[in-house]
Amino acid sequence: MRFDGVILRAATLLTLPILMFSCATTEAPGGPPPAVSSTRTREQNIELGRQHKTAEDLYKALKEEAKGGKKLEWNGLPDFSGVYSRPLDRGFNFDIDQPKDVATSAKLTPEFQVKLTKRLDDLKKGIEWDPISTCAPPGVPRWLTEPFLREFIVTPNQTWLINEMVNDIRRVYTDGRDHLPVEDRLPIPNGDTIGFWDGPRLVMHTNQLKAGIYQRGNPDYTDQVETVEIWKKDDDRTMGVDVWVYDPPSLVEAWYAHHTYIKLTDPPRIRYWDCGENPNNAVFQTKDGTTQFKDLNFSDEKKKGK
Amino acid sequence: MKSTLVTAFILIIVLLASAAPGFAHHSSAMFDQTKTVTLEGVVKKWELTNPHSWLWVDVKGKDGKVVTWGFEAEGPSTLARAGIRPSDFKEGTKLTITGNPMRNGDPAAIWLNAVRASDGKKFDPRAGFAVK
Repeated sequence: MRFDGVILRAATLLTLPILMFSCATTEAPGGPPPAVSSTRTREQNIELGRQHKTAEDLYKALKEEAKGGKKLEWNGLPDFSGVYSRPLDRGFNFDIDQPKDVATSAKLTPEFQVKLTKRLDDLKKGIEWDPISTCAPPGVPRWLTEPFLREFIVTPNQTWLINEMVNDIRRVYTDGRDHLPVEDRLPIPNGDTIGFWDGPRLVMHTNQLKAGIYQRGNPDYTDQVETVEIWKKDDDRTMGVDVWVYDPPSLVEAWYAHHTYIKLTDPPRIRYWDCGENPNNAVFQTKDGTTQFKDLNFSDEKKKGK
Repeated sequence: MKSTLVTAFILIIVLLASAAPGFAHHSSAMFDQTKTVTLEGVVKKWELTNPHSWLWVDVKGKDGKVVTWGFEAEGPSTLARAGIRPSDFKEGTKLTITGNPMRNGDPAAIWLNAVRASDGKKFDPRAGFAVK
């Protein structure tokens, strides 16, 4: 398994620069056509989520509203170039617009409300365990909340949403294909994403996701979670995404949030992220449920002897 | 030589807990974020790694014994955004460094800020999360 991972990483490293070079975004004169659907307020977006009982329903409604969307051409790609990061001035909750006096703006089922309350109570006692401590990827929808470097690579048939963290790539298929057949779906961290372009907006539906947490101090989600996202440039430096999360076991209704990522003016190079490169970062979960280092060691001699 | 460079003292200041989350890959629960420790020492090793970097600092106690402390910081690209470079902490660099210590008393801490003795330059790893 370790060897397979190495091969996969090497393949990613080799193919990414090629794809990035070939995908240099060149916006057509006058830019992409305007979106068919209109921009909605936060309240309207929350209501839109309530109106549709499943992510699939919402996605289909948006596609109908956009009259099926329009396939991109190489000479008319939106300019998503640059390196972006999520601002943390308002924290890194999944919904940074939620009121400060509430634990979450999600309408949780009783079972998941109890889980969140316990998580927050434990936090006050200094007890916390993050399921990605073992170098697992954050997975969607948590993927949206991480504060690291982002790149967005647009081609007519696919768009890649890249998070520097664990070299994480979400592939969005915009070539008209559907999701995998139900019987072939397995929960995986970033799921399976299809999408279409509505003018300058990328509308996406993701299913086949794996259970996780939205972020530390945030609620859990199950492997029934699905998302609908609309990505677009809010202005030259700001990438915005509206997201609706559906997860019947944990959410009474769709949870809406808006995320923004700002283009950095002087970004560093993005280097390969080897999560296991330093043994001092290895942790384990203690009996009382919190996090502890496995074997902190600041002696070169001891390290050599291992 | 390290032994000639080190003058160390330890100040432990109990502060009120701040609401600032640990922007690290794993939880920071093993660190006591209600306390800070400030140490003077000399750099033994500078590991720029993901998801956390570690600065090893040799600190001489009042009894003359040298203890190596580890200061955990963000990964290389976040540090780059904070203006912290691989070349900033060569072995032997004298500094004063502040962090949140381990709850269990092990010699390690979350690196909050540091001041390099040679030029007074300050290093705040979490400044790398500022978007500019």
